[in-house]
Amino acid sequence: MTEWTVQTLARAIAARKISPVEATRECLDRIERLDGRIHAFITVDAEGALATARALEAELAAGRNRGPLHGVPLAYKDLCHVPGLPTSCGTKTREYFVSPIECTAVARLREAGAVTMGKLNMTELALGPFGDNAHHGDVQNPWKPGHCAGGSSSGSAAAVAAGLALAALGSDTGGSIRLPAACCGVVGLKPTYGRVSRAGVMPLSWSMDHLGPLTRTVADTALLLEIVAGHDPRDATSSRRSVPYYQRLLEGPVAGLRVGVPENYYFDGIDLEMDAAVRAATDVLGGLGVLVAPVRVPDPRGLTDIGNVISRSEAAAVHARLVRERPHELQPAVRARLEVGFHISAHDYLQALRLRSRLAREFITEVFAEVDALVVPVIPEPAPALEAVKSGSADDVVGRMGRFSRLTRPFNGLGIPALTVPCGFSSDGRPLALQIVGRPFDEATTLRLGHAYQRTTAWHLEGPRL
Amino acid sequence: MNAPENRVSADVAGLAAAIERTAADLAIGEEPAGFVLALEGDAGPAEPRD
Repeated sequence: MTEWTVQTLARAIAARKISPVEATRECLDRIERLDGRIHAFITVDAEGALATARALEAELAAGRNRGPLHGVPLAYKDLCHVPGLPTSCGTKTREYFVSPIECTAVARLREAGAVTMGKLNMTELALGPFGDNAHHGDVQNPWKPGHCAGGSSSGSAAAVAAGLALAALGSDTGGSIRLPAACCGVVGLKPTYGRVSRAGVMPLSWSMDHLGPLTRTVADTALLLEIVAGHDPRDATSSRRSVPYYQRLLEGPVAGLRVGVPENYYFDGIDLEMDAAVRAATDVLGGLGVLVAPVRVPDPRGLTDIGNVISRSEAAAVHARLVRERPHELQPAVRARLEVGFHISAHDYLQALRLRSRLAREFITEVFAEVDALVVPVIPEPAPALEAVKSGSADDVVGRMGRFSRLTRPFNGLGIPALTVPCGFSSDGRPLALQIVGRPFDEATTLRLGHAYQRTTAWHLEGPRL
Repeated sequence: MNAPENRVSADVAGLAAAIERTAADLAIGEEPAGFVLALEGDAGPAEPRD
């Protein structure tokens, strides 16, 4: 399964070279063989997946093809409501989140022919960047056992990297798609705020939450985004803006595009191998005719503070009942982050929302007058050891969480699209990655740059030895 | 106050101070909804499909 991409498998299924049942069985076999040590899944729906695959196989035999995902096995972060399956949101409670409606993004993928393999492990309540989970097991990095898979969409990234599913959905409130994608060597997109509906998804912070795909290639991300993006009347924040043909736009030229590499903040204190790999990636883009230049960007630290005020206030409101009635069930660092939200004043919360408007407007106007995209690291160091990130007091862990996600959080506050693309390995085999950040609703350009990079390099063709 | 309460108070005070500093020159007309306008007002090149 690590040999296939969504696109190549879908083409092979359409050409009757492999059947939906065979593809599904192969993923189930891998889950059976590998997930006891990776812990990517919370719920595996073997029976449901095989039933769907059989139905899709019968449809193909009858000459009906549902579309670009016909028979392709996918899996979803365990905060997406999928009818018939429990949604724990990484908590101790089997059915923590109950929704009257199916997750819109899942429904769109299902209608395009996807087979649901199950629900993926995640950091408890999506609150943490390391992928540790005391209730469902720490997700192990497929490339380096004992090291974190990143979070909070830890299972999503690990499952795709390990070939347990061809693609996954994750959510991103402060980096939770991009961080695990970087740790596990896969592609992950946080789209523009409002681009993808969050209906049927557990909210953490309604002002900062984004839903997006994790895949092995940028081309697959473009394919999935094209399916899940677009207005949804069940999500009041979803944009009415039309959805481009992202796949068609992938092949456009990149020569002449202006890419800025920030001189300030984003490379400060970065691991040397990570720094070198991201800069080497910009050289690759430069070789394709992209105009790469250093740029100064507004200092994101104020934006990070504002984002923390907003996200902690909203998370405390959303999960107040759990924190007040069953605090002992929560991991100490998760509880510590939630508790802060109870003490933030309404005044500070509202000022933060007003400040966000100004900072977003200023950033978009200033930065994107000079460049079409930014390239920055995603994580300050390759996936750290799980025991190291979990050690010490809750305060120690919370501090570590903030430092590890400091390169992704600003783009949640700004709401602009940001794409993780693998760009190498550390000397001991841990994935390295870059982040391509674009204008609002210009996912097409970030994807085009990422796709051009992957056409020129082979990092994404590597797979972990499992 | 015990240690966790101290920590929460310190975190909240730090965030409040940061907001106070940054909001000092915030325009009276600035609204939270300005965020969505900032996003929707600056579309990149895109090819509509409908």
